[in-house]
Amino acid sequence: MKQNVAVQGTPKRSLKTRAWRQRYLFLMVLPGFLIVLVFSYFPMYGILIAFENYSVNKGILGSEWVGFKHFMDFFTNPMAFRVVKNTLILGVYNLLWSFPIPIVLAVFFNEIKNQKFKKLVQTVSYFPYFLSTVIVAGMLLSFCSREGLFNQIRALAGLEPILFLQDPGSFRTLFIGSGIWQGAGYGTILYLAAISNIDPSLYDVASIDGASRFQKIRHITLPALRPTITIMLIMAVGGILGSDFQKIMLLYTPQTYPVADVIGTYTYREGIAGARFEYTTAIGLFNSLISFVLLAIANLISRKASDTSLW
Amino acid sequence: MVHKRTIQRSRGDRIFDVVNTLLMLGIIVVVVFPVLNVIAISFSNAEHVARADVTIFPKGFNVQAYSYILRDPQVWRGYLNSIGYCVGFTVCNLLFTSLFAYPLTHNDFLGKKFCTIFLTITMFFGGGMIPTYLLMRSLHLIDNPLVLIIPGCVGAYNVFVFRTFFNNIPSELSESAKMDGANDFTILFRIVLPLSKALLATFGLFAIVGMWNNWFSALLYLDDTNKYPVQMILRQYLYVLDTVNLQQRAGMGGGYINPTLLQQISPKGVRMAMVVVTMFPIMMIYPFFQKYFVKGVMIGAVKG
Repeated sequence: MKQNVAVQGTPKRSLKTRAWRQRYLFLMVLPGFLIVLVFSYFPMYGILIAFENYSVNKGILGSEWVGFKHFMDFFTNPMAFRVVKNTLILGVYNLLWSFPIPIVLAVFFNEIKNQKFKKLVQTVSYFPYFLSTVIVAGMLLSFCSREGLFNQIRALAGLEPILFLQDPGSFRTLFIGSGIWQGAGYGTILYLAAISNIDPSLYDVASIDGASRFQKIRHITLPALRPTITIMLIMAVGGILGSDFQKIMLLYTPQTYPVADVIGTYTYREGIAGARFEYTTAIGLFNSLISFVLLAIANLISRKASDTSLW
Repeated sequence: MVHKRTIQRSRGDRIFDVVNTLLMLGIIVVVVFPVLNVIAISFSNAEHVARADVTIFPKGFNVQAYSYILRDPQVWRGYLNSIGYCVGFTVCNLLFTSLFAYPLTHNDFLGKKFCTIFLTITMFFGGGMIPTYLLMRSLHLIDNPLVLIIPGCVGAYNVFVFRTFFNNIPSELSESAKMDGANDFTILFRIVLPLSKALLATFGLFAIVGMWNNWFSALLYLDDTNKYPVQMILRQYLYVLDTVNLQQRAGMGGGYINPTLLQQISPKGVRMAMVVVTMFPIMMIYPFFQKYFVKGVMIGAVKG
């Protein structure tokens, strides 16, 4: 009897009725769903052309399949070695320099005692992140010219001017350096958020025990940052091959191609300008696969070693 | 003994503070100096720019570079285009993201699990540049202004942040509205969104800045220079402008500038003036924005 009442109280409606009652919710989801379906999923389906001789008239499923031909074309092309090597080198340099600097900066920001000064430094250091790549490239173009800022500084040291943008030896430094200039300040935000969650009484107790500033940083601040650092590191490893090729496109010159040409720039030149769609789609797929494998490996190692992982 | 230790500690402390303050001042200089240098060059005359003695104060102050730029109809068109793209993108972004996120706050929503997986997949996988380009081409979106606005306006990450934010709004209000017979659209637009002003401000500003700075989509999908956003005009100034075509354009009856004044400006000065003009709106909204974006990053970080 009691059971019956309960069942009557929450009658199990049919799926159809429930769906109809939620019609407005479905209607709300619809535009976003269609946008994601068309602009995120259709291109994934379009990757299939990496395995075929694509013809617009025959469509993606109707075109002739050629297996791994385009991948082989890439691997046997001498350019492949150059662009993969450059992408890897820039990615590794980025990991070595651009990744740790925000962590160090966040720790030092946190040690500023004057709150107003702290706020000022943060506000100033975040600013370059909001400048466009074209603006940063424009500034670099100006600083790197014969009469630019960098050569003014060299002149102070009594050195001959260099045309930095034509100098293969300077390219990587310019690329990584400008990336740090733009992103290091902004990169501290996540770490500062983690630091702000530390119980302040830990520092007080440490002070009473006579701990120095460095000891407090080493034994309180850095351990509290470890999970955030781990997650960011996993993502950074996954992004090693995802070099900021848009900036490179604005900065490289024929003289610096040997060090500056990366997978992204090569794909753009061959794909969009050269209309080799299948070949460059294959390169893109190869790049994404390697990136995903790197991400998965980093994630696995981290899960085994530290219990922190993305999934 | 105890006394001595306290003194030692505070001395070490003081040294640390001095070093840290110097480091921070160094950071401020490194960030601010290049920006000031660009501004100074844009206001200096050609002679000083060529002699490379401009640091952070203009030498031979003049506004001819700006006068040249502001007489270039392309710059105005690019500026207006960019404003249009920003408005369109921000409205679509906030609207479609809110609409997508709100149903996901209903635990009994039948599409909840599917939509969550559907969105999560796009955070890890994508088609890449070339298949996306081919799609735009086959949809006849090349040279259509919508190509900058619609494709990027719903992102998985944003939807999840919006969902988390909506979830934290007390449900009593929307429940009582439901009792009064309000439908889901009314609840979203009359109750939930008015309570989400901080969220909308944060992500609205992110959308504006993101679209203002966008140039690569325009490079890929727009051929018609009349539709270029301002970043693409800046790019043209950076890579196409030289002394010869500066003079040609100035002489071209269009009357960009009085030829006698031309001696005061250099291609570099004009380029830097264009950089300043392009970054001006960002500098203007930054003071308001910086209050919000830290919060925005945090909202996202909590969700992870």
